[in-house]
Amino acid sequence: MNKLDKTTIICRCEEISCEEVEEVISNGGRTFDDVKRITRCGMGPCQAKICTSMVAEIIHQQTGLSPSEIPLPRMRMPLSPIKLETLATNSTSFSAVKSVLDEVELEEGKVR
Amino acid sequence: METNYETIVIGGGVVGSGIAYHLSERYKEGVLVLDKKYPMSGTSGSTQAWVWVHNKTPSWYAEFSMYSAELYPYLSKKIGDVEYKRTGGLSPFFNESDREKAEKLAESYRKIGIKIKVLSREEVLEKEPYMNPEVAGATYSSIDGNVNPFRLIDMYMRAAKRNGVRYSTYNKVTEIKKQDGKYSVVSDKGAFECKNLILAGGTWSREIGDMLGVKIPVNQLRGQILVSEPLKPFLNFTISGLRQANNGEVLMGYSMEEAGFNRATTLDVIQETANMAVQYVPGLRKAKIVRAFSGIRAMPEDGFPILGKVPGHENLYVAATHSGVTLSPLIGTLITELIMDGETSIPIDRYSLRRFG
Ligand SMILES: Cc1cc2nc3c(=O)[nH]c(=O)nc-3n(C[C@H](O)[C@H](O)[C@H](O)COP(=O)(O)OP(=O)(O)OC[C@H]3O[C@@H](n4cnc5c(N)ncnc54)[C@H](O)[C@@H]3O)c2cc1C
Repeated sequence: MNKLDKTTIICRCEEISCEEVEEVISNGGRTFDDVKRITRCGMGPCQAKICTSMVAEIIHQQTGLSPSEIPLPRMRMPLSPIKLETLATNSTSFSAVKSVLDEVELEEGKVR
Repeated sequence: METNYETIVIGGGVVGSGIAYHLSERYKEGVLVLDKKYPMSGTSGSTQAWVWVHNKTPSWYAEFSMYSAELYPYLSKKIGDVEYKRTGGLSPFFNESDREKAEKLAESYRKIGIKIKVLSREEVLEKEPYMNPEVAGATYSSIDGNVNPFRLIDMYMRAAKRNGVRYSTYNKVTEIKKQDGKYSVVSDKGAFECKNLILAGGTWSREIGDMLGVKIPVNQLRGQILVSEPLKPFLNFTISGLRQANNGEVLMGYSMEEAGFNRATTLDVIQETANMAVQYVPGLRKAKIVRAFSGIRAMPEDGFPILGKVPGHENLYVAATHSGVTLSPLIGTLITELIMDGETSIPIDRYSLRRFG
């Protein structure tokens, strides 16, 4: 890999520079997901498909961890963006999903 | 690394880091935060992050949450921009029959000085034009809002470190011993000694308590969230069920499942969440979903926070709760008071571990 400059853009979706990734690691971060949560690197539409290896390289350079010790980012459904309506089934009965007001219970006509 | 500290906090999530920061404001003795991974890898990194007061019951718990929400604007001034927005909160209902319940809720809150309005359909649509026109009404409160949880924890950590707090991450606590009036905390990177020990291990509290023979009855409750692509700002309020973040993403979801520590996302709950989102805001149909994530709530057995001194153990403190994002500034303040002054400015007896007997 070519040498990365401080200003090199590592995550194109969220425009995160090499310097920002390095800062997380110098503060104790060690995995892609640590970098992701703090900088948003990898949270954009491409879902870390482009930046994974570059971040791994930076982690390797800064910590000396070997590539096999650096966990891959946790991949998230749906992997490529899809429309919400594709996921919806139009059912209006819910089991795991609740409304907040459903949780308010009345006891003898009064709020608990 | 120094091995002697006045105070050690186990767990660097929003609760542990909130405590460490608040302690560091008043207290320049050594404070160490230990985390088995990196703060944010626990529940605090997979949350909706509403700062939410309205619809908490009983009303004394809503009052407790309100005090914390009141601290947020001040907290942002002290530690830096955490993207806290007091948007106001809306909880929609779709059946006219829920109005009575909403009115009862408003009435029980009036007594403690939290103002909730019960809105008509027209009033909801005036406030939130993209809401489903089939909505029957909503409860509304101006105190609710949301925050960026990553920025919040990052800022807590930065401010705490500036005040001298040390963090040791990727360092799991495996054993705790009491010796000569001090705690010896054994971790992957060696043993540390302290006078005060604070257990802030979130959903892992039970196993950390076991190391001291203390029963901390915290269970796991999974929640799954969908995140959209950034959309132009179009939602004004924190709607219970979904919110729009500063960068335009919409976070959708309010689900509860017992799944132990399993942090998978599952198609059935994702589909239900999608159904809920389009029911609330039909315009989201065409929005693209970029990812789904799940988190494991730390849920005390009776649902309420476990806070304060551990009965029968000197200088041992616990803070384990759901709604930790909402409560973190208050919990940080109260635990600091308990350690520094021996008492708290508002009573927390009802949150004592003692209630579990
Ligand atoms: C889907 C979802 C939505 C939510 N929405 C909201 C909301 O809108 N508003 C709200 O207020 N709350 C919400 N919550 C709850 C909130 O996120 C949690 O209450 C809060 O994050 C708990 O923080 P914590 O610091 O106690 O736990 P955590 O963030 O889990 O921190 C505990 C830390 O302890 C560390 N640890 C554990 N064991 C050890 C050990 N042996 N040694 C060293 N370190 C250890 C872990 O690594 C972890 O970092 C939500 C939760 C979920 C899952």
